[in-house]
Amino acid sequence: MNAFQDILIFVVVAPGGIFAVFAFLWLLGWTPSERLLSGITGLTFSGCTAGVAALIWKISSASNITVTFGNWFAVGNYHFPLVLMVDPLSVPFLALAAVLSGLIGQFSATYLHRESGFLRFFLLLHLFAFGSLLAFAAGSFDLLAAGWELVGITSVLLIGFFERRPAPVENALYVFGIYRACDIGLLVGIFAMHHWAGTASFDRGFPTLTGARSVVVCLLLLLAASGKAAQVPFSGWLPRAMEGPTPSSAIFYGAISIHAGAYLLLRAQPLLAQSAIASSLVILIGAATAIHGTIVGRASADAKTSLAYATLTQVGIVFIEIGLGLRWLAVAHILGNATVRTMQYLRAPSMLHDYHQMHSAIGGDFAPTGKQVEALLPERVQIWLYRWALDRGHLDTTIERWVIAPLAQLSAYLSRQDRARTPFPTTIRPGRAVQVSAAGPTRRSH
Amino acid sequence: MSELGQPGLSRLDRLRCAVEQGAHLLPRQGPIGVFVHHNTLHAFEHLPFEDAVKQAGQLFGAEPYMSEASYRAELARGRIQLVDVDAVLDREPDFLIFARLSRSSLRRAMITPGVREFDGATIVWRTEQGDLAKDFRRAALRVLFEACFARTVAHEEEPVPPRPVDEVIHPWLIRLCSVFLDQGTAYWPMPNREKGFYESVRMLLSRRGGILPKYLVGLDEEFRRQECLSFSAADAVLDYLDSRSLGEDEWPGILQAELLALPGWAGLMHKLEEDPTLAPHKILPCSLMDFLAVRLTMSRIAARRGAEEPIPEEPPLKTQERRRLSRTARIYDAARVLRLSAEEVASLSDPEWAAFSSEVKAFNGLERRRILHRAYERAHEREILRGLASHRKYRGLFDQPQRPPAQVFFCLDEREESMRRALEEAHPLVETYSAAGYFGVAVDYKGIDDPHGAALCPVVVKPEHAVMEQPKPGDSQLLESRRWRRRVLGLLMRNSFVSSKTLLRGWLSTSALGLLSAVPLIGHLLAPRHYALVRDWLNEAFLPEPRTELTLMRNTKQSQGAVSGLLMGFSPEEKAERVASVLGPAGLVRGFARLVVILGHGSSSLNNPHESAHDCGACGGRRGGPNARLFAAMANRQEVRERLQQKGIDIPLDTWFIGGYHDTCSDDIELFDLDAVPSTHKPDLDSIRSSLDRASAQNALERARRFESCPADADAERALRHVEERSEHLAQPRPEYGHCTNSVCIVGRRSLTRGLFLDRRSFLVSYDADVDPGNEALAALLAAAVPVCAGISLEYYFSFVDNDRYGCGTKLPHNVTSLMGVMDGHASDLRTGLPWQMVEIHEPVRILFVVETTPDRLKKVITPSPALKRLLENRWIRLATIDPVSSRVHVYRDSGFEEFHEDLERLPVALSSHEWYAGKLQHLPMAWIQTPRTATGDRPR
Repeated sequence: MNAFQDILIFVVVAPGGIFAVFAFLWLLGWTPSERLLSGITGLTFSGCTAGVAALIWKISSASNITVTFGNWFAVGNYHFPLVLMVDPLSVPFLALAAVLSGLIGQFSATYLHRESGFLRFFLLLHLFAFGSLLAFAAGSFDLLAAGWELVGITSVLLIGFFERRPAPVENALYVFGIYRACDIGLLVGIFAMHHWAGTASFDRGFPTLTGARSVVVCLLLLLAASGKAAQVPFSGWLPRAMEGPTPSSAIFYGAISIHAGAYLLLRAQPLLAQSAIASSLVILIGAATAIHGTIVGRASADAKTSLAYATLTQVGIVFIEIGLGLRWLAVAHILGNATVRTMQYLRAPSMLHDYHQMHSAIGGDFAPTGKQVEALLPERVQIWLYRWALDRGHLDTTIERWVIAPLAQLSAYLSRQDRARTPFPTTIRPGRAVQVSAAGPTRRSH
Repeated sequence: MSELGQPGLSRLDRLRCAVEQGAHLLPRQGPIGVFVHHNTLHAFEHLPFEDAVKQAGQLFGAEPYMSEASYRAELARGRIQLVDVDAVLDREPDFLIFARLSRSSLRRAMITPGVREFDGATIVWRTEQGDLAKDFRRAALRVLFEACFARTVAHEEEPVPPRPVDEVIHPWLIRLCSVFLDQGTAYWPMPNREKGFYESVRMLLSRRGGILPKYLVGLDEEFRRQECLSFSAADAVLDYLDSRSLGEDEWPGILQAELLALPGWAGLMHKLEEDPTLAPHKILPCSLMDFLAVRLTMSRIAARRGAEEPIPEEPPLKTQERRRLSRTARIYDAARVLRLSAEEVASLSDPEWAAFSSEVKAFNGLERRRILHRAYERAHEREILRGLASHRKYRGLFDQPQRPPAQVFFCLDEREESMRRALEEAHPLVETYSAAGYFGVAVDYKGIDDPHGAALCPVVVKPEHAVMEQPKPGDSQLLESRRWRRRVLGLLMRNSFVSSKTLLRGWLSTSALGLLSAVPLIGHLLAPRHYALVRDWLNEAFLPEPRTELTLMRNTKQSQGAVSGLLMGFSPEEKAERVASVLGPAGLVRGFARLVVILGHGSSSLNNPHESAHDCGACGGRRGGPNARLFAAMANRQEVRERLQQKGIDIPLDTWFIGGYHDTCSDDIELFDLDAVPSTHKPDLDSIRSSLDRASAQNALERARRFESCPADADAERALRHVEERSEHLAQPRPEYGHCTNSVCIVGRRSLTRGLFLDRRSFLVSYDADVDPGNEALAALLAAAVPVCAGISLEYYFSFVDNDRYGCGTKLPHNVTSLMGVMDGHASDLRTGLPWQMVEIHEPVRILFVVETTPDRLKKVITPSPALKRLLENRWIRLATIDPVSSRVHVYRDSGFEEFHEDLERLPVALSSHEWYAGKLQHLPMAWIQTPRTATGDRPR
């Protein structure tokens, strides 16, 4: 094992190790001081950044770096390989994750000072960094899925960071639901790869799949990618994710998490390139999202939602680029988009200040916006489109009425059947978080 | 209510009255860019404080006081003392509940050792496994509980209220409000919004071809129906009220409940309806009736679709059982602290038991907190009055034997208290004064960089005069190039920001230039202060500022601005009047130093939507530098001095006034128009400049003691760098603590408080009763200072005791909306009040005014003023006097002044403020700072 392999292991494992150590000590009842925690966070991510810099240097002169730990476990033909791999595709993402996690850590040490959830936030930040670094450095889809899920769960826990108010918890639960539904795509996709190709590793070339099989796997991965990247029709969760503290919104929905879906597709590019159907669908979804994002974003009057849709619009374009096979353009676009949005999210609280400054610099008159494309439409269409934008493309409404409500009814029916057949009286105490299920049982009698 | 009964009014008028009644309770906060502190419960000021907090608490679901646990902690650490609790309880009515038990001893026992709080939700657990279960291990307590349980009856069931439809309609309503009111965040403005909220929403939502949420299906149809009938907003509201067949007497209640469901947004609509010019960029036709029309139409559909049906709760029987248990536990706990036995409880006659249990019930948590709060304030009051009286007694009223080298005027703001002290410590011969920070100059001011003028005066005053900053004759070319460059820069910033959010331009800019954002990102986060220094340096290099002057002259009597109707500048009489209005009441009428410095103040911070809340309240939530500059320019004019002489203010020829500006966040002090200072005064200027610099570093050090993130062993230079970094830090949610910890306002001569460590907790108003025999100056000072200081104090009070309801919660998830307010996350009510980070170290007490005069003279000032009378008699403020001659102290309690008798011990002595506060984070008691004085008055070595 050479030094660069050690560096790679350090980069991925360090934040996870910090998480594990501090979480364990926390369980034992010890809370570190803010100063200690932010100092260690700074050191960890400086180390990771330096490590990634070394990896970049190595990659640019030589071939990929691979670390194989063997299999975690094997059952019959199935085995779960633990393999890390750095290639030119993963390196920019690793750099992005290491640098931005460090900067967000630096920001949050001041921003969350004296906040009761300080430790919780930093634990989740480390776990998130571990998850994203793992996903980007994974040499197989199995390991990528592990990192992917860590990113997902930390995302949800940070949306619900202010757990004493109902809105953050409700919205976190909504995002969790969408994530779970879409992650089925990743899990089944991996299953299919194992089933048909015998492996889901890509450290030594991509699993060979042909014909309909490759299309099916592509579509499954696309489902997962679309959920994570908030593509149409799943976009509705993105504004809801703004309930957490500002820095977590910045790194998750401005930078890393929102682009993880694009990374998955970039990884699956060899497969995607084989199938015209799948690539067209990627382009289609990307285009729909870009248009959806730009129109909805135009009618968003709050700083964070408007940034969320601005980010989403560009991620839609990134999907188009991936569908067209323009991989390196997509990577450059992701890096640029992620940096711009992180900065913009972190500055979102000063939007008022910035506006007044620009306003006075310009001399008190902004050129009116919204007078170009929008004004060309006939008035009736304008109004229709504006309402469409205001309801965010009716995506949430549609999902609520035709997916969630029937599901709730079904589950209510099943639970009634269950209760009718179970001899023990069970008490169920409905809380606020389960509004949807209440729609079922109470409504039926009318 | 009374208007409703008037027969002459039409139905529409009666509806308007009902809406107005409901609107009365909405928050009075305007767009957040100009934050003006005010009493959160302004609408309740006609009630006594204690009734008001209770009523408002029930109405808003808010806490009236701190939690009982907080008061108990204060009791435990000695901040509340038992003598204060007893003194407060002694003033309550007392009688025997049953033989051996008086009401006051019951109350005393319920406060200390104290009873616990019980509620239905946890009671079962507590009896089975919690603290009550622990009690029950002692047989005596168990039988006591059983005895109480046997005598406690269950109450009848309460009806389940309908489920509010809010969660169905709010997502829509919030989004509609935010785009309607938007001042420029959204690229595409809401169509037809100039027609008003109701009409534009109706046009939007009546369109066919959309998908509506389950509970709002039919909303488009309803709006179409209203459109066909050409309803006005009021018609729609009336139609709703009729459809529910509500009588007119029910209107106010219903409308009030509807408005209070989303008070932040409704309040902003109301505020903008009253004064549309408050909107920072785009003036919109706001109306509360429009808001109600939209809201009620939505509620109507939601109710029709069944959103109101309650979710089934747990079986009522179980609730009954829990209620009875928790009622029992309350009585049991009172019996326990009284050491009653089970037999004694059992032996009480029925009327005795009823009296006992109802007294226990009457002294519920709310009442206990009321008593504890009174004791909490009383302890504070005693400490302050004792300290002041002792300082007056042992230090005396020391008068300056020689002409002071400089006199410095500050704002009466309590943040300047430490600054004044620091300056006096840095240069013990300097005299300091204070006045409301607009320095009597109510003006509409337009600086060289401002697009429009802004009112720099208290919000209740409308400026009648306009003043502009203009370049000096030689510098107009410089200003032109500055304007041009700023415009280019502004357009560039604006375009890059807007286009980064669009589709195609965003694609180009993010993919090609996006990585460039890493430069400000890393700069801001890793080296905020240096980044700011580089930015300032670039600004100086490329945007040099021209030398300027103010257009304050007005020679022709009627030179009014054609558009604004404002008088341009001030005539000599007006100038003299303004200058006299500040110097006179402060008692500075003779004995002027060679230099008089006037310091306005403001605060600059980054990434802080509440930035304006740290600015000068007396300047209407703006920065007061121009006022100070203007004041100095006026006072330097010969014709003004001549007129002042006639008013008995004798300014010698060799006195020069200098205006300046103090940034309370970065502690930077800037002095204006220094090139105009006569060369004879240069040494004086250098001397005061260096004293001010030392003082601002010391002030930074004193502020830094409250900041945990500043190292405890920092010196003044380090502390100054620390506060400078705070004002430039992108991630700093508490750039300064603002008015936090304010608790006192002392109106009197500086000699009363000079050398007294007041811990930045005291507003100071310079007032000399000797030169004000007719009390006119006092009346003017109090009329301005009391409402402002009381407003600040009460806003901090309420934002602290219930930060979620009265304040705006933690800043961390705040989201700037419509450029007028903040929401939590993507769809919440507009959050009004102060964020937790601004109030977290506050002590919630009503402000205590201490006026250096006699009770009689003070009564003569307060009685004729309804506003002051109401605040005082309803106990929204506390009041005391200290006699300027005899130094006797009187304090206003219940309904009149009582003499304050306490043994006066010498205050602890420290050689410098730093010695007193070094290394301490918490509030500090008063101390006597005895700065060693050298003969020349130079800085002690």
